[in-house]
Amino acid sequence: MKVQVKNLRKEFGKTVAVDNISFSFDSGQVFGFVGPNGAGKTTTMRIISTIEEPTSGDVMLNGISVYEEPELARRAVGYVPDTLPAHADITVHEYLDFYARAYGLRGKKRTQAIEAIEEFTSVTGIREKHLKALSKGMKQRVSLGRALVYDPDVLVLDEPAAGLDPRARVELRELLMLLAERKKAILISSHILTELTEICNGVVIIERGKILETGTIEDVLKKSAPRRTVAIRLVEGNHHQNPQLLKELLQTPFVENARVVANEIHFELTGDETAACDILGGLIDKKFKIIEFRQTKANLEDIFMNVTKGGVQ
Amino acid sequence: MSVAGIKNHFANWRQWELNPIVIKELRQAVRSWAVTGMLLLFLSVLFITSLIFLVSQSFEADDNMQLGSSMFSTFMVILAVTSVFFIPLYVGVRVAVERQENNPDLLYISTLSPARIIRGKFLCGAYMALLFFCACMPFMALTNLLRGVDLPTVFFILFYLFMVVCAANQIAICFACVPASRPFKILFALGGFIASFWIVIPLILVSFRFMGSGIGSMMGEHNFWIGVLTAVVVSSAVIGLFFVLSVALISPPSANRALPVRIYMTVIWLVGGLLNLGWVVQMGEARLMDVWGYSTFAAMIFSLVVAISNSDQLSHRVQRAIPRSRLKRMLSFMFFNGAAGGLIWVAAILAATFVVTKEVIILFPKLSTGPTEGRHWFVTTTAYAFDYALTALFVHRRFLSRLPPKITGLLAALLAGAWAIAPSIVLFFLNQLSWKSIEGLQLGNVFNVFSLLNEGQLLYHQWFAFGWLFVATAINMKWFLRQVKSFQPPDRTQTPPLINEISPAA
Repeated sequence: MKVQVKNLRKEFGKTVAVDNISFSFDSGQVFGFVGPNGAGKTTTMRIISTIEEPTSGDVMLNGISVYEEPELARRAVGYVPDTLPAHADITVHEYLDFYARAYGLRGKKRTQAIEAIEEFTSVTGIREKHLKALSKGMKQRVSLGRALVYDPDVLVLDEPAAGLDPRARVELRELLMLLAERKKAILISSHILTELTEICNGVVIIERGKILETGTIEDVLKKSAPRRTVAIRLVEGNHHQNPQLLKELLQTPFVENARVVANEIHFELTGDETAACDILGGLIDKKFKIIEFRQTKANLEDIFMNVTKGGVQ
Repeated sequence: MSVAGIKNHFANWRQWELNPIVIKELRQAVRSWAVTGMLLLFLSVLFITSLIFLVSQSFEADDNMQLGSSMFSTFMVILAVTSVFFIPLYVGVRVAVERQENNPDLLYISTLSPARIIRGKFLCGAYMALLFFCACMPFMALTNLLRGVDLPTVFFILFYLFMVVCAANQIAICFACVPASRPFKILFALGGFIASFWIVIPLILVSFRFMGSGIGSMMGEHNFWIGVLTAVVVSSAVIGLFFVLSVALISPPSANRALPVRIYMTVIWLVGGLLNLGWVVQMGEARLMDVWGYSTFAAMIFSLVVAISNSDQLSHRVQRAIPRSRLKRMLSFMFFNGAAGGLIWVAAILAATFVVTKEVIILFPKLSTGPTEGRHWFVTTTAYAFDYALTALFVHRRFLSRLPPKITGLLAALLAGAWAIAPSIVLFFLNQLSWKSIEGLQLGNVFNVFSLLNEGQLLYHQWFAFGWLFVATAINMKWFLRQVKSFQPPDRTQTPPLINEISPAA
């Protein structure tokens, strides 16, 4: 299943929520959708899920337009919204049963599908509870269960980890990885970027309705952080040498922006790996007792902070 | 659905399942405090009422031969008030809440078709009405034992009340589907509440009349059954009309929303005409044809406002459905989405209504009053309606093209309103604060047609309206021809994309 967002634009009166954005992702891929509040993430996700209509542009799901054929497209998309159901008069099981019926599952097929989903999302123990009585994490599971009950090829998850405790987050992450293994195309928005780095293959960074960066995580990291940051740590008890080391580094070629971070010295390496080797050799020759010399990887959070300005529409 | 499809559907009757919406709604209704509370209150009121009647009778020395009738009347009023006010309100509010944009339930993005969703909501309302009727039934059956009312009357009134409640439910669902903001929906609910009085009061009065005459004695009459048939057809037509309107309202904008509505309206227009003709033949009174004429006029003026609010741009989905054959394409033009086709459809129906009504009057000249006045009124107001519509279309296209086409209908209504109010206010002040000026001739004001002093003034209106129509048609002609020309199927036939069958997650 290929999801192609093509020149998508959405206006709400004079506000342009989504401004001509294009990206695509495929089965088995987990794509992170990142941006500050009000960037247009939810609007885009709602358009992909056929809830909202685009002002112009389109989203194609294996060639099916979400604007032209929303009924067909709905068979392929499961949407987990950021707000959760809160009925006081319907149980978890009845809720999942309704959606299974609504998506055309009948008889034994339906019973099996609901049981499998209840087990997969670990809601079997609470199936007779009313939705209103559930905690946020449990509601999130029910919401995910609802989106999965008819086995859609594409999953669109809007802030699924928001408000979850650490255990629930780990479980959610595991669930998503399992779904990716089952060849689902997943688009997930979250503000917890460290988690996205761990589970996503690709990322779309959006601000003020415009895409700032898109591609695989590696490509985006390479593109957005071409300079490598190196961290040096001296043997315990030799931290008094830090100012001396800092002074030395500032006079070394290919070193920029050297600074003390906790008990370490960080600097940006403008040269290649040979340059890094030379620097390390030079420092050892000068009797600095180095125990750790490592390259720190830029993560999604660093890139996000670099490329976005925090603007909203 | 093809014949094979229908056969297959009935062959697999063991796999038939209830509409999912009905199951969900009824599950929620039985747990809702509103329904259970109302049902308990309803039963308590019925019980206390029966008790009051029976206790007060025990103090009377003589036998009351009308006790059953009095009790039945009271129960009927309680049932009518409860079911006409409460059930449509409950069903309508639930639909309106689900239709809110911020609702996370996403019922409307499931693969359930819009028709199935509306059918589910309607059936839920009907089941709830049945629940209340069943709760009332033992009390009503008791009244038969107390004399004063016969069983056919009891069942006939209940059936008739049930039809009205179903129609009220469907109307409430339709208004709840209108994509309006919450304040507007609250206004609709208030309007509906007030309108319910207009339903309940005549309903009760008619029921009293039936009770007075006794249905049992009327059942042998031919006219009684024609009347029943007409009432059933009219109620079903109203339910059907609001059903197709509701379906159109929740269908995606890319769908051919106009097609089912226009086909349905054309069919009920034809059936209504035939039914009305039957009455004319039966009663020998051609004036009865006006019932059809007036209701067609009202429905078509509303349709005109909706039709001109259609977008000129057809979605690919609609374009793909345009037939290649020229004859079929011409017919489709009138029934598919689009303002130009809608104008032709409304004009065709109104013209046919006018011609048929006129022909019937010529064929059945047994009339109490002259027919010409009514026909002139019909022609003049229709011409004015098209004047406003075509002018609004021109204004929107020429000056307000950045605004969505849905404002065109509003523009037409504003034009009619402004033309009616503005000159009246000016004349009112010019004529030393006298309202007499309003009664004079005001060309262009459609409402003035209804308060004319003589037929000569009507003629002036007619000339003016047709003159305006000529100009309005001329300035819209280029646009209209463009619309006709662009009403073509796409060049390449694309095979519809395939999506895998839904399989259970297991």
